[in-house]
Amino acid sequence: MVDKTATPRVVAFNQPAREAGVRLGMRRPEAEVLCPGGTTLEQDHATESLTFEPVAAAVEELIPRVEVADPGLLFVPIDGALRYYGGEQALVAVLSRAIEEAAGVGGRIGVAGGPFAARWAAEVAGEEPLIVEDDRQFLASLDVEVLGREELVATFRWLGIGTLGELASLPRPAMLSRFGTAGLHAHRLASGEDRPLEPRGLPEDPSVMERFEEPLVLLEQVGFAARALSHRLMEAMAESGVAPHRVEVSAQAADGTERTRVWRSADPFTDETLAERVWWQLRAWNESAGIPGGIVQLTLAPADLSGEGRQLTLLEDVSARIEAERAVARVQALLGPDAVMEGRLQGGRDPIEQVRWHRWGEVPPPLERDPGAPWPGSTPGPSPALVPPEPQLLEVEWDGGMPSRVRLRSRWEPVLNWAGPWRKLGRWWQDEPQVDRYQVVTSAGALLCELRNEQMFVIGVYD
Amino acid sequence: MLSLPDRLTLEPGKVIGLVGPPGFGLTRVGMSMLADSSRTGPVVYLDVRGWVNPLTAWEAGIPPERLIIVRCFDRLLWPKATAALLEGIRAVYAEVPPGVRESVLRRLAALARSRRSALLLHPLSGDLPAGVAYVRYQGREVAWEGPDAGHGRLTGRRLVLEASGKGMSGIERVIEVEDDGADVVRMVSRLAAAPAGRAAG
Repeated sequence: MVDKTATPRVVAFNQPAREAGVRLGMRRPEAEVLCPGGTTLEQDHATESLTFEPVAAAVEELIPRVEVADPGLLFVPIDGALRYYGGEQALVAVLSRAIEEAAGVGGRIGVAGGPFAARWAAEVAGEEPLIVEDDRQFLASLDVEVLGREELVATFRWLGIGTLGELASLPRPAMLSRFGTAGLHAHRLASGEDRPLEPRGLPEDPSVMERFEEPLVLLEQVGFAARALSHRLMEAMAESGVAPHRVEVSAQAADGTERTRVWRSADPFTDETLAERVWWQLRAWNESAGIPGGIVQLTLAPADLSGEGRQLTLLEDVSARIEAERAVARVQALLGPDAVMEGRLQGGRDPIEQVRWHRWGEVPPPLERDPGAPWPGSTPGPSPALVPPEPQLLEVEWDGGMPSRVRLRSRWEPVLNWAGPWRKLGRWWQDEPQVDRYQVVTSAGALLCELRNEQMFVIGVYD
Repeated sequence: MLSLPDRLTLEPGKVIGLVGPPGFGLTRVGMSMLADSSRTGPVVYLDVRGWVNPLTAWEAGIPPERLIIVRCFDRLLWPKATAALLEGIRAVYAEVPPGVRESVLRRLAALARSRRSALLLHPLSGDLPAGVAYVRYQGREVAWEGPDAGHGRLTGRRLVLEASGKGMSGIERVIEVEDDGADVVRMVSRLAAAPAGRAAG
């Protein structure tokens, strides 16, 4: 199958064509020479979407949160499913069976740490699913063409960079300074770091919905509704300077049946690309009798925003945000990904426990402790401005059970006042020692300390 | 009389210096200065020790999603990292590691002016070279409120700062700042000018 451009290229092929040497992106005449007896079809997204719908439905039966990237390609997060099905091998076996029952043989499955590696693992996989242990190692042998950016790939080739491994071995700061954010993104993909940018939640429900008095049955009506609603959503979001990367399409049928499917895109959706995908989805449901009696309600909800779609406030302007992100990306390339961090508040008894860190630009990990829980024994506010990564040993002189002097660097400073102790019992069932915490005020500042095994440690400085 | 704002704030293109030993409460004062800027875009804290606690920044009013902490432990990379941040971030709080040359600080100040980015410089030891900071706040005294021989807990502090520099029209002023730990840092009084003979930096 080839696309409908002026210079058609291969976008899909079957197993015999693969065995004959046909590859994705190959020009039509080249592919036809390799498969002289084959039939070449022109791509029709709507039909593909219709054909692919049973596969998406079958996968969704097994694992929730299916995201369709294109008709024929879907992603599904498997972290939760792994525990349920008992491992990757068991999971892919179940998935293979489900896909085979839905669409016959020929489906391919790739499992990897991120969507980019998983997508190419599926491409490389034959009949047997391919489970990638190390994304970077797997990607290293792939041609830079898989990055999909023609101009960038051409430049890489001109510079003698032919594989993702060669690309990943280059220093990231050099990539950033030579190719800008496109180069940085390519380097991240090549290094197996294609975690999505941080999704941003919207402050209020941004979804758009349309109810139809007369159920939409005709394809033309459905197409018109898809375009109109997509336009409404994109217009509303553009006012806030945002664009979605994932959109949930929901349709309600006249008999009350509800259908939902999430579509995702590597680049933020535009008016046109969103309308196109909504149309494919609705047509697929319509023609597969998934919407008995026609559509009576249609809803589009952006599932999250990321990259270009970052949420802006009224006071924030788009160019400033882009400049800021570029500056931070440059510093991240200079100092390394672990040097640029953001934090989220979580529960905990000590200041160091109350921050859940994550790298800038990555999806925040789930909180480890509930910030809404009471946390008895936690240090009372205000918080110390400085918290050492490891508790620092502090020499203390005691006078009748009260701290009288502390040694800061080489000097002994008198204790002017103190509060505490507050006892923290810790996980006594795991043999964690109990500690007493003090706030100690000296002439050189105030410290948050803990007394453990008769030794005092600084765990915070009120600077 | 010289007019001072009611709160300590940052201005685009201006360098503010925070000078004083650790424990004077200058980090929190700096955080509260960043809070205003965080309303319009991300702000960055350049941490050279790896000790900064974002809880303090959030308490000072910076939304968590607007605060980026950059950790730079290599003194040689510090100027490059700071300069890169000034290219796109509107407000940067930079701890200055010991040993950074005066010429580097002057170049960064010029860059902040040209990019109209607000830059807060907090040297971890020593002072800033004269003329680098538009306003230089030096911690003079700090009084802690709350603890009482084992009872109570820290509830706030009163901090006496000496303000000097071009932004003060060359006149040193002593100001008192109140910080109750849960709200913005407030300037509560403007005390008399410092004794004559202490030149503005």
